[in-house]
Amino acid sequence: MDESSGAVKARRLGPGFWLPMGWIIVIVGVALLAPVLPLKDPTDYFIRPGERPPYPPSADHWFGTDQDARDMFSRIVSGARVSLAVGFMTVAMSFIVGGTLGMVAGLVRGWFDRLVSFLFLVLLSFPGLVFTILIIALIDRSVLTISVALAIGGIAPVGRLARAATLSFAEREFVIAARTLGARNSRILFRELLPNVVIPMGALVLLGVATAILAEGGLAFLGLSIEKGETWGKLIRNGSGSRVLRDSPWVAFGPITVMFLTLASINYIGDYLRGFFNVRETGLGQ
Amino acid sequence: MTGRQAPLLSVRDLKVVFPTPIGMVHAVDGVSFDLEAGQSMGIVGESGSGKTVTAKTLMNLLPSYALVDGSVNFDGRDLRALAAERKTEKHLWGVEISMVFQDPMTSLNPVKKVGEQIAESVRYHLGQTRTAARRQAGDLLEQVGIPEPGRRLDEYPHQLSGGLRQRVVIAAALACEPRLLIADEPTTSLDVTVQKHILDLLDDLRAVRGMAMILVTHDLGVVKGRTDEVMVMYAGRTMEEAPTEAVFSQQGHPYTEALIETIPKINSASHTRLVPIPGQPPVTTSPPTGCPFADRCRYATDLCVAQGPPLTALGNGHHVACHMPVGTPAAETALVANAARGHTATGLEIHQSGVPIGAVTDGLGEQS
Amino acid sequence: MRFWGLRVGMLIALLLAVSMFTFGAMNLLGDPLFNILGPIAGDTENPENLAKIQAAEEQYYLDRPLPERYVRWLGDFVTGDFGVRFSASGQPPVSEVIKERLPRTLALSGMAMTFTLAIGIPWGVWSGSRSESARDRLSTGVAFFLVSIPNFALGVVLLYAVGFRLGWMPVRFDAGDPFWQRMHQLVLPALTLALGGAAVYQRLLRTDMITTLQEDFILMARAKGLSRRHILFRHALRPSLFSVVTLFGINAGGIFGGALIVELIFGIPGIGSLFVESIFREDFPVVLALVMILTAAFVVMNFVVDILYSIIDPRVRQ
Repeated sequence: MDESSGAVKARRLGPGFWLPMGWIIVIVGVALLAPVLPLKDPTDYFIRPGERPPYPPSADHWFGTDQDARDMFSRIVSGARVSLAVGFMTVAMSFIVGGTLGMVAGLVRGWFDRLVSFLFLVLLSFPGLVFTILIIALIDRSVLTISVALAIGGIAPVGRLARAATLSFAEREFVIAARTLGARNSRILFRELLPNVVIPMGALVLLGVATAILAEGGLAFLGLSIEKGETWGKLIRNGSGSRVLRDSPWVAFGPITVMFLTLASINYIGDYLRGFFNVRETGLGQ
Repeated sequence: MTGRQAPLLSVRDLKVVFPTPIGMVHAVDGVSFDLEAGQSMGIVGESGSGKTVTAKTLMNLLPSYALVDGSVNFDGRDLRALAAERKTEKHLWGVEISMVFQDPMTSLNPVKKVGEQIAESVRYHLGQTRTAARRQAGDLLEQVGIPEPGRRLDEYPHQLSGGLRQRVVIAAALACEPRLLIADEPTTSLDVTVQKHILDLLDDLRAVRGMAMILVTHDLGVVKGRTDEVMVMYAGRTMEEAPTEAVFSQQGHPYTEALIETIPKINSASHTRLVPIPGQPPVTTSPPTGCPFADRCRYATDLCVAQGPPLTALGNGHHVACHMPVGTPAAETALVANAARGHTATGLEIHQSGVPIGAVTDGLGEQS
Repeated sequence: MRFWGLRVGMLIALLLAVSMFTFGAMNLLGDPLFNILGPIAGDTENPENLAKIQAAEEQYYLDRPLPERYVRWLGDFVTGDFGVRFSASGQPPVSEVIKERLPRTLALSGMAMTFTLAIGIPWGVWSGSRSESARDRLSTGVAFFLVSIPNFALGVVLLYAVGFRLGWMPVRFDAGDPFWQRMHQLVLPALTLALGGAAVYQRLLRTDMITTLQEDFILMARAKGLSRRHILFRHALRPSLFSVVTLFGINAGGIFGGALIVELIFGIPGIGSLFVESIFREDFPVVLALVMILTAAFVVMNFVVDILYSIIDPRVRQ
């Protein structure tokens, strides 16, 4: 029974890609440009005489205000700056450190590889954010410390992937050929392996950013994120007290919605791209 | 064919169409045949001929989007109707009609013990207890010629060799004493030395159980001397249907003739070139009005292009779908005319000797 | 047998390494004395504080070199002596506090894991067998939603929607209430933890089932005339279970971490909230003990997952 392949049409990125991408562009753009946009001051109090805050969403305050009559819209934007910044910094750090460790381990093998692999295993043994919280608690709660603490948690998954990718590529002929020609390890690393390992790691980047934003949100919700300034998690925490939540849900739901849309967009783009690069033939029957 | 009792299996004008992105594919385009109880039939064809789809139709294994037409009657029951109803007649397939697949490596569940996979059918269909089913599984393993059956019951498929695995598959298929066994390329994935053993095994089992069998294969050599009848399929249609010896001694259809020619013969002179059939089987999204084999047939005339030949009886149970079967005067005339012209009515180039040009110059090399 | 010996050895090595990491972090990042006593650590003038300082130094072996401190601490820890809490009023031993709060977290986690499996697996199997149908598309959307939303946000949403608006579930945990009422109060928090995980299971299982269902042995099972349900659960599910088992291990870690957050949202006095409170109070003996306990539990759970693997797939045993 013949298996005809479905006609492979030229694949173009459809709305499934551009819709979430659009949101990402908007949110990142707004976050970057916040200082120059005509937004209200997130720390300013906009109390209306006679009415007790929080005020529901209105033309004046698109997302309403919080219990201290601060404008939610500008607070969410200001929170975006930190949440996104932490997300990207964390990913950058964990990928650079984890990726390097993994690739070198995969290439050099021997005791170094065993050591690094065990290190990864140990890092992976700490559940959830436990180790991260510990570090933050012991040092301080600056953006840098938080990013580093989160990045430490990400080193192991990234490193393992880099190592596995390196291992599978290092066996291939072109690396052996380079070696025979006398190339030193560092050269092999950069010229031959790096381009090939980067591709599977690239898929992990999106997931990493989403995870980092999520993790920072969790920390902030616990009250363990930065002390001054806002992040999405902190805003959500602020709106989650029993009374506030029950009577004025928008205080929490505003940042929840924005955070959810951002994470969902990242995840959706990730799914979409994975499907996009995975063209399979349609077989007839089974 | 003129049996006093009705045939066990009766297929009339079976058509199976698959909707696909490139169009409607007519995998099976009007196939009819009968099979008596205890009889064996070989269905022979290239890939794409529709033989596997026919087999799957008999076994109710087609995907849900397949469109089926025609009638399939097993022991007086309408199989198509039964397939449509989900609930009743749960115990037909797997019990009365059973199937053996091509690759035993993938047909067996890798994480289940061999004995369990054999016993499964009897427990599910016949309600036997675990111990009784296990005992029966052991018996079956013995019947299919597996040494130390007791030990094998608890092994996993990956612990057995290819030949043993296929025997296990056969044992599982026979568990509920089917009256018809369909074997789809049962030996194609196996070593050549093992192939003969498996085929012999199937023959023995058939004889002992009085079971009917359909042997689906691309290899004419597999059916020679083993089946009672052979049906040759091409492009979803029956080209020839005859008792096995007739197919080998006196082919009716040019396609069958060409197939026989492709089989290397052990007593040919050395360096005899192999004779493949030029061209490819058609992709059947638009069934031709004429004969589907015309493009590759050395006898092709304008009549062949214009009109699809019906399946006509030549006597002695021999049916051929051809306007001018091999050996008839009409065929000889057509061939001579084509050879003289240098090509057939479809443009296939013919050598003076009557052999199609594409067949010779492929350079398939020496027979060593 | 060799197989197991290696595994157990690895388990112990991991546990030791984890304890070293934790202990090292505690003692090397910042001043241990400060970590234990807080601001009074530097105050050697005040005789009362001095006494405290000396007591702490003795109790925590602070005048000894680091490796020795570690070994002594480890010895104490393993025998159940987690030290005493640093607190102004009285000093209940850490083990007491933990003993009091642990059952609640265990109940919460247990419930959450059960919900995750009970929801995620049938959902995954069902959608794997009915892929491309309209209902499947809807369920895929729901799963995507659950996966993308942070668990604390989901908790807040559920608290609001189910707790406040609809009033179906109680919103507060009260340690004084009778047992079954307390279990009832844990349902919503457990669901919060479970839904995200269930969605992950569903997505994974669905993909695996779709792949498995295309295998030849499924075709053979159909040829045997077995019912759809029989094939789904007795043939297709097991090979697809590998990813589920792996996920179980990862998920467990997520549940521990998520418990921290959920206990905070719903006001449950368990280990998670103890951890967070202790962080804020800078009560480091508790923090140290909790990190060790939580991590050790997680490591053991992964070990169990390993064992499950070899049971499910006999090929791994060789």
